[in-house]
Amino acid sequence: MQQVDGKVEYLLSEVLQMPVSEITDDLAMKTVDAWDSLKHMELIVSLEQGFEIQLSFDDIVAMQSVSEIKRVLREKGVTS
Amino acid sequence: MELRGKKAIVTGGVRGLGRAMVETLLASEAAVTVFDLNAAGLDELRKQYNLVNCIECDVSDYEKVTAATSRYHEQFGAVDILINNAGILYSEPLIKITSEGITRHDAAMWNKVLAADLSSVFYMTVCVVEKMITTRTRGIIVNISSVSASGNAGQSAYSAAKAGVNALTAVWAKELGPMGIRVIGVAPGFTDTDSTKEAVNEAALRETVKKVPLRRLGKPAEIADGVISVIRNDFFNGKVLELDGGLTV
Repeated sequence: MQQVDGKVEYLLSEVLQMPVSEITDDLAMKTVDAWDSLKHMELIVSLEQGFEIQLSFDDIVAMQSVSEIKRVLREKGVTS
Repeated sequence: MELRGKKAIVTGGVRGLGRAMVETLLASEAAVTVFDLNAAGLDELRKQYNLVNCIECDVSDYEKVTAATSRYHEQFGAVDILINNAGILYSEPLIKITSEGITRHDAAMWNKVLAADLSSVFYMTVCVVEKMITTRTRGIIVNISSVSASGNAGQSAYSAAKAGVNALTAVWAKELGPMGIRVIGVAPGFTDTDSTKEAVNEAALRETVKKVPLRRLGKPAEIADGVISVIRNDFFNGKVLELDGGLTV
């Protein structure tokens, strides 16, 4: 089991090129210009590698905010 | 990628280079489907190789490609390897000066060649990659380009289409690489096929062969071997392999 909080923020900040302090749970794809479809794919791969998990297409579509990313990761057994 | 048991689609696989690729994939025990608009050719292919699945489709028509790939996906699921080979080899100068005067490159042929050689690659790839992504399939797209992509006198439409194919290869390699999908180009030089002989007159072909350091045309099987080798090499991505006997050196 791995910790979600902290690592998710770090991975998002790396992919979106944003300070970690700005990665809050309510941050969402539709409110961040840099979080486009291509960045989303990069983020998915980064999460898969970072947490050593495999995400389904439904997971990928669902993970459009930080809170949703954490919810899916918890469902995959990654603890908070 | 190990080819055994992998699902492969070859467009324009009835004859020429496409046929050689089909035969090489079958020899590697891949499950091959051919998309081609030549119904009689598909029948003949089916009779010769009963393992080949044949789908009649004009790949320059987006609606037909959408319908045909949907049928394929319903039956077989996501494809592992797409080889975008179908196309037209067409030669015509931009301006022709004859004893009867001056004429322009046929605009209808320009559109036809762009549709067959460039739009078809986009249509097939967008339909196939959508399914790869929704099923998280780490597949491969092979785009058959040409040495003409760098600009061959007398081939405005063909050269432009193949340059476009090279650009798409680079764009898609960057876009799809993070999802584990590789996109590769293979650019044959002048090859000993019926379509080469139909599009390039004998005298011009003889002159071209003189410029090839190996002094001969390529064989379809040699191009097919090149395609297979870049499919097998999992680190080859976004680049175009030139197989031209040294013509462009």
